[in-house]
Amino acid sequence: MNNTVLELENISYKYKNDLILNKINLKINSGEKIALLGKSGSGKTTLISLLNGTIKPTQGEVKLFNESFEELDRKQKSKITTIWQDLRLIEDLSAEQNVNCGLLAENNFYFAFKNLLNISSFKKAHKYMKLCRLHNSIYDKKIRKLSGGQKQRVAIARSLIQESNILLADEPFNNLDPKLITTIKNLLLENVDKNKTKKSPKTALVALHRLDLLNDFDKVIGIRDGKIFFNIKRNNLKKIHLEKIY
Amino acid sequence: MNKLKLNYTSLSFLPILVCIPLGYQLINNIHFGGFKLFQEFLISAFNPKIDNEIIITVIKRLNETILIGFFSWLVSIIFGAIFGIISSNIFYKIFNIPNFFYRIVRFFLTIIRSIHEVVWGILLMQIYGINFSIGIIAICIPYIAVNSKVFAEQLEIIDYKSFESINQINAPKFSSLLTLIWNPIINTFKNFGLYRLECSIRSTVILGLFGIGGIGTSIFLSFQTLNFRELWTYLWSLAILIIISGLIFKKIKFNTTNKILSIFFISVFFITILFSFSYFLYFIFNNNFENFNSVSSLFKSSSNLGLFDFLKLILETIILSLLSTGIAISLPPLVIGIFNNNTSKIFIKIFAFLLRLIPTPVILLTLLTFNNPSVSLAALTLGLHNAGITSKLLFTNLDSQDKRNYIAMKSLGISKKTSWLLGLFSQQAKSYLAYCAYRSDIIIRETTIVGVIGSVGLGWQLQESLSSFAWQEVILVLIAYSSIAIVGELINGKIKNSLT
Repeated sequence: MNNTVLELENISYKYKNDLILNKINLKINSGEKIALLGKSGSGKTTLISLLNGTIKPTQGEVKLFNESFEELDRKQKSKITTIWQDLRLIEDLSAEQNVNCGLLAENNFYFAFKNLLNISSFKKAHKYMKLCRLHNSIYDKKIRKLSGGQKQRVAIARSLIQESNILLADEPFNNLDPKLITTIKNLLLENVDKNKTKKSPKTALVALHRLDLLNDFDKVIGIRDGKIFFNIKRNNLKKIHLEKIY
Repeated sequence: MNKLKLNYTSLSFLPILVCIPLGYQLINNIHFGGFKLFQEFLISAFNPKIDNEIIITVIKRLNETILIGFFSWLVSIIFGAIFGIISSNIFYKIFNIPNFFYRIVRFFLTIIRSIHEVVWGILLMQIYGINFSIGIIAICIPYIAVNSKVFAEQLEIIDYKSFESINQINAPKFSSLLTLIWNPIINTFKNFGLYRLECSIRSTVILGLFGIGGIGTSIFLSFQTLNFRELWTYLWSLAILIIISGLIFKKIKFNTTNKILSIFFISVFFITILFSFSYFLYFIFNNNFENFNSVSSLFKSSSNLGLFDFLKLILETIILSLLSTGIAISLPPLVIGIFNNNTSKIFIKIFAFLLRLIPTPVILLTLLTFNNPSVSLAALTLGLHNAGITSKLLFTNLDSQDKRNYIAMKSLGISKKTSWLLGLFSQQAKSYLAYCAYRSDIIIRETTIVGVIGSVGLGWQLQESLSSFAWQEVILVLIAYSSIAIVGELINGKIKNSLT
């Protein structure tokens, strides 16, 4: 049975005159946890932006559940959630309002309105913020008043609250201390959820720099100069692979 | 030989050179017939008429002014925000609307904005007659376009990454739009909204001079009957209104985290929209449109305006704008720099307040008591009024500036004037010039008011054409006005961008 959820077919992406990604082919199957490795500027963020439909490829096609991304409706597209490297939170809104923004896709305009007026329910937002180890004293604080680590966790909570099937994350462990990294990694990769208090994404593609975090992933993709150098099972990863991309 | 180098400081003083041709023409045009009247006007400032009858009139007229000013402000700020949203690029990005429509909406608003509220007022009065609501509509039309520009500018600087992030959540488009624009709109309203209320009240006064009602009408009638004591009673009461409203504005703080207040503001927002639409429908269906016959005669009427005369009027308007802008830019730093002591500062501030307070037509009519109508006199009037506004900004910025450089220079034995120029003003010159570039947009639009009163430029021609129902001429003059204002706005936009 074909259980491919995301697929890149012969994708190239040019920005101005620079070829950022060159003829990439990639299949992501349901339930896979994939680590994306590569130097800064190798094309990891561009690849993620293509996968979530933020940018369109210069050549080739992106498919979600075997259908062209262009032809999908809003509801289908919302099955992907993204944690951006630069977080992309709305600075003037509070932490809980930002997390609630993750619920915009499944709610109507009135919800967005109530969220901005601070009269919507923040119950679900608080649950995910708590899971991300955010203290309740910062719930109503504006984003610009938070520390880097707190902002990072707000962005993660906003992404998790969407309860999407597919997670795309661009270096989500930045700004976090080692203890928090373990917590967040478990949250994102569904390793511990004894009480079933949350729905974690089934499929995840996470761009990383830290090799010590690879243990929880099934597959590793190495990217360099806009090309995929390897796409292998984590157990098969050797030093030689890493030397190719770093 | 050393080359002359221009910097922001010298550029702030250079426009004062306009005073040479201006002064020459003013001296040539002087007449002594009205000096006594002018003297009486000045003396009356210290001896305004105060009795029961006038106090009742003042209260009644101020009420009218506040009502027209407030309603036109409320409608223009709300619709300004709505038009600001649909004239910002974020709206077109979210709804994937082609950029072509974005340009059309912007162009349309630029044209509306380029025509001064007085022109709209005169035009509407000519069609519908004198009416309380004409004042509100006349102010609202250009103000909606002006406010929309300010709102749109704030929405244009929304971080593109926030847009991408919200877009990626795949929320309904209206939810995404609301979430992204909410804070920029609220912040613009907080920073800019109350200032626009003051502008609305000032515009109501100006329109009053043209018969729309309120304290402006009383001021004009007092001037016409040369009852200067009464005139000053109205002017001082207007001053008190502006001072008190300024003090109230300073105290008002918008707290959007307060749920009850937020719901109140939202209710006002929707009620205003509903009210405006119902009023618009009422206006359309309950007005006597007989006068529209004059508009339909647009295509029948012929224009007697010769090409040469028309070009001359355009040139006069441009010269008027340039001369006024020169005075508005250079006079404040020059006067503050020369009379740089605490006592002089108080007098300059009072004088600047009076220049802002007294409507330009009244300043012009006063100056006409001893000078013949000319471009220079109109330019002096407009320049002085706007110098009152630019000096307020300059004072505010200079007062809040770090004075260590100035003190250090003085301690080195450098003269007080030079220390002020190099230690204080030089640091403000760039932002001051950027503000003046914005101000000159307004000056171009205001040339209409002094034109109508002072018999110069297109403003005067507009009044003449309207009085004789020469609608083709009216349209020609309006097109010329719009074109000058749009070109001016483009040039000033470039200057502003290079300064900020």
